[in-house]
Amino acid sequence: MNEYLNRGIKEIITEFPEIDGILNDYEISCGPCSVGTCLLKDIVTIHRLTKDQEQELMARIAKAIHPGKDIKIPEIEKRTEVKPKEFRYAPPIKKLVDEHVLIKRWIGLIPQVVDYCDLKTEEGRQLILDGVDLIRSYADKFHHAKEEDILFKYFDENSDIIKVMYEDHTRARGYVKAVLDALDKGDETAISENLMAYRELLTEHIKKEDEILYPWMDNNLSTIQVGKLYSQFTKADKEIGFSPEKYERFIINLEEKFKQKEK
Amino acid sequence: MTQFEGCPGSQAMSFKDQDGNDADQDVGKIKSQLGQWPIQMHLISPTAPYYEGADVLLTADCVAYALGDFHREFLKGKSIAIACPKLDAEQDIYQEKIKAWFDDAKINTLTVLIMQVPCCMGLMNLVQQAAQSAERKVPTKCVVVGVQGDILQQEWVE
Ligand SMILES: [Fe+2]
Ligand SMILES: [Fe+2]
Repeated sequence: MNEYLNRGIKEIITEFPEIDGILNDYEISCGPCSVGTCLLKDIVTIHRLTKDQEQELMARIAKAIHPGKDIKIPEIEKRTEVKPKEFRYAPPIKKLVDEHVLIKRWIGLIPQVVDYCDLKTEEGRQLILDGVDLIRSYADKFHHAKEEDILFKYFDENSDIIKVMYEDHTRARGYVKAVLDALDKGDETAISENLMAYRELLTEHIKKEDEILYPWMDNNLSTIQVGKLYSQFTKADKEIGFSPEKYERFIINLEEKFKQKEK
Repeated sequence: MTQFEGCPGSQAMSFKDQDGNDADQDVGKIKSQLGQWPIQMHLISPTAPYYEGADVLLTADCVAYALGDFHREFLKGKSIAIACPKLDAEQDIYQEKIKAWFDDAKINTLTVLIMQVPCCMGLMNLVQQAAQSAERKVPTKCVVVGVQGDILQQEWVE
């Protein structure tokens, strides 16, 4: 069993598909992850499980790996005592979580944007350009940049979980570039496919950050680091050169527009 | 229980020798972590050099007596001011000083340590009012200490 603790989760799930379902029961969704190199022991450590839940989960995994055998469950050394789910984020982390809300609202509108997409009209083309602008300016330059250039520097950037976050950001940029290329060629199908792929990727990405990465980081930041991080975020937001409210207005208008169309 | 017990903040309690052993106590002299003087809120200047960009503790007077490991656990590496929200006079001056910490001394963080007794919340209210009037925002944490020195609550405030 011990040897499995140090193996990548995707590898384990490929060998024992049943484990994906077991992890899901504990709200750990490694299946759709794009990388999957996190080690089993790290996954158990980083999710906020109680001691009993952890024992139960490990017992079920052991049973899936060695059916019929009585396996001794190895104890996993906890790096920090993890707080329960309903806790208040430190202010800089809360800022990032709040920014996710607008990105999630945009993601929620993508299926309608795709339906509505009509490149023959100026309005249709502009809608795609405005959506891409939100992704590039708000989600990437404003939000992801704070994660990559500031927050992640407080942690080991070579850790698997942070590498996964970088990789997700890079893939997101790839989808957006593909949307613009498709717009140039007037290829509506490629626009839809890439926007939908972006939606799926970012939905999982934000879930990983909100539910796993951020609570874990929040727990591991000292009071002094929280203050420094907050000042750095405030400075970065000031220097960004555009007002994020512009994108909130764009989303409000778009939501309103689609609501009218439904009527 | 009598019908009227008076103010819970000044109710008499005794918990001497409750857990009787001191096996986990350090031996030898414990070094003070205090790095400044003065500390009383009326006496300090909020723009003294030791507050500039600092991580500041604003502590209710009783806290340091209740918390067994106050110096190492909280005071270490921080600047401090103490106050009593129940007994101190002219607390509007306190509010101005807290605002000056935020805007002028540009402190890094503020940790407010109060006792569990209801009147101690007054110190937290004072901080929140000062924070609202300040232009700069500062991450602020509230720590509630029990009368027997246990940390009852510790969280960032909005
Ligand atoms: Fe991210
Ligand atoms: Fe994010």
